[in-house]
Amino acid sequence: MKKFIYLIALLSFSVYSQGKYLTKTGTVSFEASVPSFEEVKAKNDAVTAILNTDNGDFAALILVKGFRFKNALMEEHFNENYAESDEYPKATFKGNLNGFNVSSIDGNSTFKVSGSLTFHGKSKEISDINCNVVKTDKGLELTGNFSVTPSDFDIEIPKIVSKKIAEDIEVSFKFDVIKK
Amino acid sequence: MKPKFMKHILLFLLLSLPLLTFSQDDLLDELEAEADDSEVKNYTSATFKGLKVVNFESTKLVAKEELTFVVSHRFGTLKDGINTFFGLDNAVTRLNFVYGITDGLNVSISRSSGIKVYDATIKYNIVKQSKNGFPFTIVGFNAIVFNSGLSELDYPLLEFKDRLGYTTQLLIARKMSTNLSIELAPTIFHENFVANDLQHNVQYALGIAGRYKLNKRWSFNADYGFHFNRADNSVFRNPLSIGFDLETGGHVFQLHLTNAQAMYTNGFLGQAAGDWSDGDVYFGFNLSRRF
Repeated sequence: MKKFIYLIALLSFSVYSQGKYLTKTGTVSFEASVPSFEEVKAKNDAVTAILNTDNGDFAALILVKGFRFKNALMEEHFNENYAESDEYPKATFKGNLNGFNVSSIDGNSTFKVSGSLTFHGKSKEISDINCNVVKTDKGLELTGNFSVTPSDFDIEIPKIVSKKIAEDIEVSFKFDVIKK
Repeated sequence: MKPKFMKHILLFLLLSLPLLTFSQDDLLDELEAEADDSEVKNYTSATFKGLKVVNFESTKLVAKEELTFVVSHRFGTLKDGINTFFGLDNAVTRLNFVYGITDGLNVSISRSSGIKVYDATIKYNIVKQSKNGFPFTIVGFNAIVFNSGLSELDYPLLEFKDRLGYTTQLLIARKMSTNLSIELAPTIFHENFVANDLQHNVQYALGIAGRYKLNKRWSFNADYGFHFNRADNSVFRNPLSIGFDLETGGHVFQLHLTNAQAMYTNGFLGQAAGDWSDGDVYFGFNLSRRF
């Protein structure tokens, strides 16, 4: 009986941690460049993300001030006047990899992601993002991209620079999650 | 036997609890906890957007390996009216190159027309304001000024060293809120040669400067310098400048009115000739371009 209880104890604890895969060094980048104008592109490589492999639930957290631009002035403008990162320091995503099943991953699998993306204090439901999942030595690698518009998040692009910033902003992500 | 069985059941339930709570906890909350562990220093940004507030240096520095070219103009006095086209005829120009050796150390060289003054400066960050950290940003500023305009015809005994002047300044700023930034600038400056015999070569001043953001594009800027040991018979006044900054993404335009025509520190603190009470002020602008 005692062994049985130990077994359950072990099982329940191990199951508890089994399904969670985490990274603190995920990368998210976005690009809003317009040809023949200065490149508008930023990358954040300290994104935390977590995947629950039991049910495909996924979440990511970005500190907005961690986006690095090509030049410091652009970064300052982005934080002060567009992202308003003093007021809204975090961007988040919370969603699900539809039909995720860890045992079905074979080489390279693609899942549809849907969920809610929050930035600049505004949330937008997004769906049908393709997310590639690849098994790695230590865990899983999730990659993909999608596009959003500044107006989705109540970000106004002033007329004076509207020619230099693309209407659709390409976002790409890469998370090497490892077992927590 | 029965109570013991109950105990087992209880234990079983207790141990299974993690399995049940599993699906209930929020992944995002879990991330918040993780992220707080690794929270980076949250430095205050955009205290000032221009390298200068108007005339006084701001706490802003040029980023590492970036070169900024600043063209500043101060037109002649508005008081002359249409005769000089409101000062357009007597403009003074300062060309200024600033280079960021690191994010916290800048060097610059510049040349002002009219009075023909060269100056070389270094500007360095000492401490940065941060959330839950130090409440001020402190930047040091030193300049050496070379006045090539002094004429040996006017001053036959003039030596090389008489052309030199020095500035030592501390810039202490705080971003009070999203819109308001305030700066104090205690300054000691030295001129090896002063035209007025009663004027001390070593001069003390305190600058006070501010930026108020009106909206995302425009801010209102002002600065004033208290001079503490100006000679009693001096014709010069304390410099007061007001202006607006316009941001256009790539650069910041600064448009202003000031009673000082010189754009280097010793010049606007020591030799501001205009007088606000008399409408004797100069229109000017600072325009910067980053490379």
